[in-house]
Amino acid sequence: MKKNDLYSKEEKLFQDKNKIYSAQSVKQIVYSTDVRDFGQVAKSIPCQDACPAKTNIPGYIRAVFEKRYGRAYELNRSANILPGVLGRICSRPCESGCRHGEPDNGLSVGICHLKRSCADLKPGSHRIIEGLYAPTEKKVAVIGSGPAGLAAAHDLSILGHKVVIFEGLEKPGGMLMYGIPEFRLPRDLLMLEIKNILRLGIQLKTNKAIGVDISLDQLKNEYDAVVVATGCVSPRKFDVTGEDLENVYNGLDFMKAVNEGQKPFVGDKVIVVGAGFTAVDCARSAIRLGALDVRINIRKTIEYMRIDETEKYEAQFEGIKTYSLIQPSKIIGNNNKVTAVEFQRTRMEKTDTPPYRVSIPIENSQFLVPTDSVIAALGQTPDEAVVSKDLDGLDGVFAAGDFVTGSSDVISAIAGGRKSAQAIDEYLIGEKRKQTVVRLEKHETSDRQRSYDFIGKLEMNTIDMEKRLSRATNEVETGYNDDQAHEEAKRCYLCNLEYEIDPLTCIYCSACIDVAPKDCIKMIESVPVNPDGTYGIYEETDDWNKVISIAIDNAKCIRCGQCLAVCPMDCISVTKKELIEIDT
Amino acid sequence: MPFNDHYVIIGNGPAGNHAAIILREKDKEAKITIISDECVPYYYKPKLTDFIADEIAKEDLMVSFLDSYKAKDIRIRLGQEVERIDPESKTLFLQHMEKVNYSKLIIASGSRARLLPPMSCYANHLKFVTSYTDVIEVKEEIKKLKSFFIFGGDLVGFKFLRMLNSMDKTVTILICPNAFWPYNLTDDMLAQITESLSKFNADIIVKDDISTIDEQNGSYRVKTQKGIEKNVDMVFSFNGLNPNIEFAKGSGIDIDHGILVNEYLKTNIDGIYACGSCAQIYHPNIRSYTTSIGWPNAVVQGEVAAFNLLGDHKIMESVGRKYFDLEGVKIKTTWWEDIDDES
Amino acid sequence: MKDINIVIEICGSAGEGTISAGEILSRFMSGQGFEIMSFDSYPAEIRGFGKCVAHTRISTSRIYSPGKLADVLIALNDKHSIFQLSTLKENGILIYDSQPVRPHKEDKSVVGWTKPGMISYGIPLNMLAHKATGNARGMNMVALGALAALFYVDKHGFTDSIKARYAKKKQIVIDSNVNSFLEGYSWTKKNIKKIDPYSFKGITSPKQKEKLIINGNQLVAKAALDANLSFYAGYPITPATKIMEILSRELPKHGGILLQTEDEISAIGAVIGAGFGGKRAMTATSGPGFALMTEFTGLSVMAEVPAVIIDSQRAGPSTGMPTKTEQSDFNSAVSGGTGDCPRIVLAPTDTKSCYEATVLALYLAEKYQTLVVLLLDFFLSNSIRNINIPEKPFSEYLDANIAPDKNDLKDYQRYKITKNGISPRAIPGTPGGMFFSTGLEHDASGRPNYSEAGHLEMTQKRFRKFNTVLSEAPAPEISIIDRDEFDIGVISWGSSAGAAHEAAMSAQKKGINASSFSSMMVSPFPEKALIEFADKCKKILIPELNFSGQFANFATQILKRHVERLNFITGRPMASEDILQKMKEM
Repeated sequence: MKKNDLYSKEEKLFQDKNKIYSAQSVKQIVYSTDVRDFGQVAKSIPCQDACPAKTNIPGYIRAVFEKRYGRAYELNRSANILPGVLGRICSRPCESGCRHGEPDNGLSVGICHLKRSCADLKPGSHRIIEGLYAPTEKKVAVIGSGPAGLAAAHDLSILGHKVVIFEGLEKPGGMLMYGIPEFRLPRDLLMLEIKNILRLGIQLKTNKAIGVDISLDQLKNEYDAVVVATGCVSPRKFDVTGEDLENVYNGLDFMKAVNEGQKPFVGDKVIVVGAGFTAVDCARSAIRLGALDVRINIRKTIEYMRIDETEKYEAQFEGIKTYSLIQPSKIIGNNNKVTAVEFQRTRMEKTDTPPYRVSIPIENSQFLVPTDSVIAALGQTPDEAVVSKDLDGLDGVFAAGDFVTGSSDVISAIAGGRKSAQAIDEYLIGEKRKQTVVRLEKHETSDRQRSYDFIGKLEMNTIDMEKRLSRATNEVETGYNDDQAHEEAKRCYLCNLEYEIDPLTCIYCSACIDVAPKDCIKMIESVPVNPDGTYGIYEETDDWNKVISIAIDNAKCIRCGQCLAVCPMDCISVTKKELIEIDT
Repeated sequence: MPFNDHYVIIGNGPAGNHAAIILREKDKEAKITIISDECVPYYYKPKLTDFIADEIAKEDLMVSFLDSYKAKDIRIRLGQEVERIDPESKTLFLQHMEKVNYSKLIIASGSRARLLPPMSCYANHLKFVTSYTDVIEVKEEIKKLKSFFIFGGDLVGFKFLRMLNSMDKTVTILICPNAFWPYNLTDDMLAQITESLSKFNADIIVKDDISTIDEQNGSYRVKTQKGIEKNVDMVFSFNGLNPNIEFAKGSGIDIDHGILVNEYLKTNIDGIYACGSCAQIYHPNIRSYTTSIGWPNAVVQGEVAAFNLLGDHKIMESVGRKYFDLEGVKIKTTWWEDIDDES
Repeated sequence: MKDINIVIEICGSAGEGTISAGEILSRFMSGQGFEIMSFDSYPAEIRGFGKCVAHTRISTSRIYSPGKLADVLIALNDKHSIFQLSTLKENGILIYDSQPVRPHKEDKSVVGWTKPGMISYGIPLNMLAHKATGNARGMNMVALGALAALFYVDKHGFTDSIKARYAKKKQIVIDSNVNSFLEGYSWTKKNIKKIDPYSFKGITSPKQKEKLIINGNQLVAKAALDANLSFYAGYPITPATKIMEILSRELPKHGGILLQTEDEISAIGAVIGAGFGGKRAMTATSGPGFALMTEFTGLSVMAEVPAVIIDSQRAGPSTGMPTKTEQSDFNSAVSGGTGDCPRIVLAPTDTKSCYEATVLALYLAEKYQTLVVLLLDFFLSNSIRNINIPEKPFSEYLDANIAPDKNDLKDYQRYKITKNGISPRAIPGTPGGMFFSTGLEHDASGRPNYSEAGHLEMTQKRFRKFNTVLSEAPAPEISIIDRDEFDIGVISWGSSAGAAHEAAMSAQKKGINASSFSSMMVSPFPEKALIEFADKCKKILIPELNFSGQFANFATQILKRHVERLNFITGRPMASEDILQKMKEM
């Protein structure tokens, strides 16, 4: 902790960005706004780059390793105000980017599980520290208390604005509260993290639906700015006959009913249509409602499902079967109740525009599958009936989250909310008060041991089938314990530490190449520069006559630190590179 | 500059070998390579159970024309696993980190035993009979041991049961209705199969499932969900086959359960074909994808894939038997149960 | 008890621990009671990245030759191992690194070149070494671990062998090696499904007497010390250097002197000087050094001064191929030098007989006051065997000088004409034993004398010594004696003899009636025995490792009949398989 206090003092010293500091200056910290540094950070820390909220992932994982869970939680919270929530239900774009998951490197680090560990394992004495700005006497209305709305409200409130959230439903949280099943996200945790936001003095008005209980114009008049973060709540439809039969649900309504504690009828056989998280959530909820035969039906192939491997596995484990390359063509009923779905087979075809692979139905390939209920989880679109999407921000109305982007994921919504808060602040104050820079600090060690590279991925602990069925709200995943979190944290390569060889000191002894664990240290003949100023892929050579330098390829480097240990000339430097937000 | 094609065939089974033969017949110049993750040369899988029972020798298991690889100038890479395909650069990444470039590719990687997802935690306790390697591992032990538990029950499983019976072993068989996933046996069918199996000296368990398998001093205690307990020396799983297609995932080749190909056995990517039991073949008549079952089908498919790769447009005429016989019960070979018989 | 007879090769690049892995393997297997023979080949350039191969044959029965083809090849380095694959049997086993640091380009991986019928086991050698020790150095031990796991070799015993090998090193070195071994062992047990038939499970060899694991060079040095060597002068040269290296450490402890001279000429000069002074002295060299010594060898013969030269042959001429074995110094050893220059030449046929031969060489040189050349070769010098600890030489072998008695000393004649050709030799300083000594032809007193009769008489005397030498030579080895007729007789010498004996025995099993003949003493040659043997054989085959058939030429003069020849200059030791093949063709 002491060390960090020192840093923050140092940071203040360098707030005058017109001054030039060399790498040899006090504490050897440099703040950079150079495009090359941003480019390098994006390239060499792919998890952070993949995160819409740009969470400092290596930073918090290192803190988890040090068992400073509170610190890790705060590092998360500075990018994403709901670490405990996202640690459970995030779509994990970071893990697809993780370099541990690249070919021949094994499996990606359990970044999300570790995020959850910060929330689960932080000590009882943990306090949240917020850097509050002075009150501005400006008032902002936030419409919608989903992740985007909450994020925007939080940041605006920090910046000194008075914030009121209008929520149409009874409870805050939006999709988190009504869309995601409780066995994946416990509601007490969700409420705790929401309350942590509201405590800043944000007023929450529930059961205030825009366009029903209150109009946008009204808000425009009363507030200095308005954020529309109403998300995507209009479900997509099948567009087939029989859609209105009894026991045919749309996914969102179904989940909402389940999450409100109702027990919608599902029967023995359930047909779920859809390839996303909601489809899986509906199917798994149906199992918990007593269904015996639940099948998920998708138009394309399993590869194209928008869920991760864990979800696929859990669904399979719970006995849910997936049928691919089919789409419903008709819903058939008797006595106004659904009895069967007529499916049509599809085949994959290519298109020249995204998504490049589409499914097209095969004529005369219909067949019937009997069922007791149907759940259509085909995704949602924004409800534009009340608020038009054509907002220009000029008259003080801003938009954020799924409402803008279309149905996406929670972490993108949070990032969107934060971005809109920045824009609103600039609109209200008339100047930019915060900026992102690259902080470079000399680091003495690799912080890792070579043995860490051989630790296998730690699977999440889960409860058995019996417990899952005994109470539908029992959380399936139970989190890592202290030791497990520490162990999994070791796996992170700490890509925020960048290794470089100083070609002027290097004696070309190749000792580092001999110990290299990967094809990561190369003899190069040139370094191409990309049009944006960042460095391209090294051009390698075997011919000593052409070698201009021995260089570490940070895209291959797994930060094992072996080169650092063997270098006789001490010419390998480690620099910690972090994206941080500072006041302008 | 003269450029010779390099045809690579992944898989050393009937489909792969017959594809290679046709390719060589039609193209004398091209480089042809067969890659297989098994170290043993081309052998006759259906005879594996006979091999366990020592009814046939290792030599009889081998398919005869192995010697002709050299004569035909077909390079064979055995014991080498393809890990990844990059159709963009036409490169195969082998598991031992060698890259192999191809100009055209035939995937005939076959299939292997399917492990039911709830059984994944007992994977180490289960034995399979799908490859020579599996069999070599257990062959000598089977002779010594007494009691066996068969879990599942597919074609090979029943054949294996027959074999154990002939060796006077004590056998318990738990028939899983979904051993033919995604096909489920109906109660009627189950009854019919049970009836048919009653001629064997075996404990037959139906409508139950495995709860736990514990290892104790080299033997196993199997508990079912309905509380039946059996102490056995070995547990075998026969729950159908899964296509070997992990290496194709993420390559851009369309994959469902198997590799999706059209009636010409071509995948969605030019120059890449798939055949045999790893492929899911579109059949215009039944308007659906089907999966090949059986040796003769694989042979024909291998040949068709080879012809088409060389520019022909042969349609897979016979998708083979639409049914196969499971102890007197007809099971359809398409992925869906409700295909019209006449189509 | 089942039998096992397996050849394991480890192939790697210099510096990858190939040779030490082979050494640990053979030591361990010897400790388990197996017969072993191992032979390493490595690049001539000490520094660099050349190919190293540790070749070990392990058997429950007696081994005569290292075996031509390997049953198992452990590839530590793909580039070199691709070439080494040619010596793997058609149904052999390849153990290779399945996870190297850098990806292979097409056709640069050894497993890509395996032939159908071979079994390959991919073990992530490099990765596991990194896992165990943090770097790639433990790859050789990981490979041994994999080997132990695959073939059901006793894990604990092997671990002890590794500990013993590195006992003098720091604890971290021991730990790294042991951990690497265990890592390879457990990974392989867990991940590899064995489909080959080789197994050490249940194979136990009777516990034998304590064995010596030793190569020819070490045994020569040991024998020399046991035989009271007092003086060694030499100039290092592959493959004989090891002898000097050991003696430099051990000889002073035994009160002797070791002198490293500026070249081979002065080395032999110093040896003759010491011999003149009554001390047992020797030098060791290889072909090029022997050529330099040739001039001096005449002095030893002419002045009748004991001298022993060990010539460990390597491929020549000139610098040739320093680390490749060959038997091409036969002519120069037997008849090199000026004038009619008789000398004794001994060529041990296996590691064990190197001891015997060295003791004999020092004894014969002293007793017969002449030059003795001991012909080793790269293979004998470096191949490792486990042998019973040799018995110390009898005392008569340790003091063999025929000293002048009182009568002799009355009017001492150093070169007195005697019936057996041996003149009593006075050691300088013996009262009354003063004499002239020179490289010029001389009379009995040692004074120069060029008379026709004198030269004839003295030459006859020098040659006469050899009539008695033969009676002290070990009897020739003949594989089958109790038969009167053979289809093929294989006559061999030196290190090829083992393969020849083995081939003759295999031939018997294959229905070819064959026997083999070899003699440790090649000059003077036991001609009578040879003729007797050859007369029983319809055909004669002489295999040897030189191009021109030097020994075959020599033998033809004795036998005066046609002999079939089998000559190799591959740089590898003679293989029984090749001899057998030749026999089938004859």
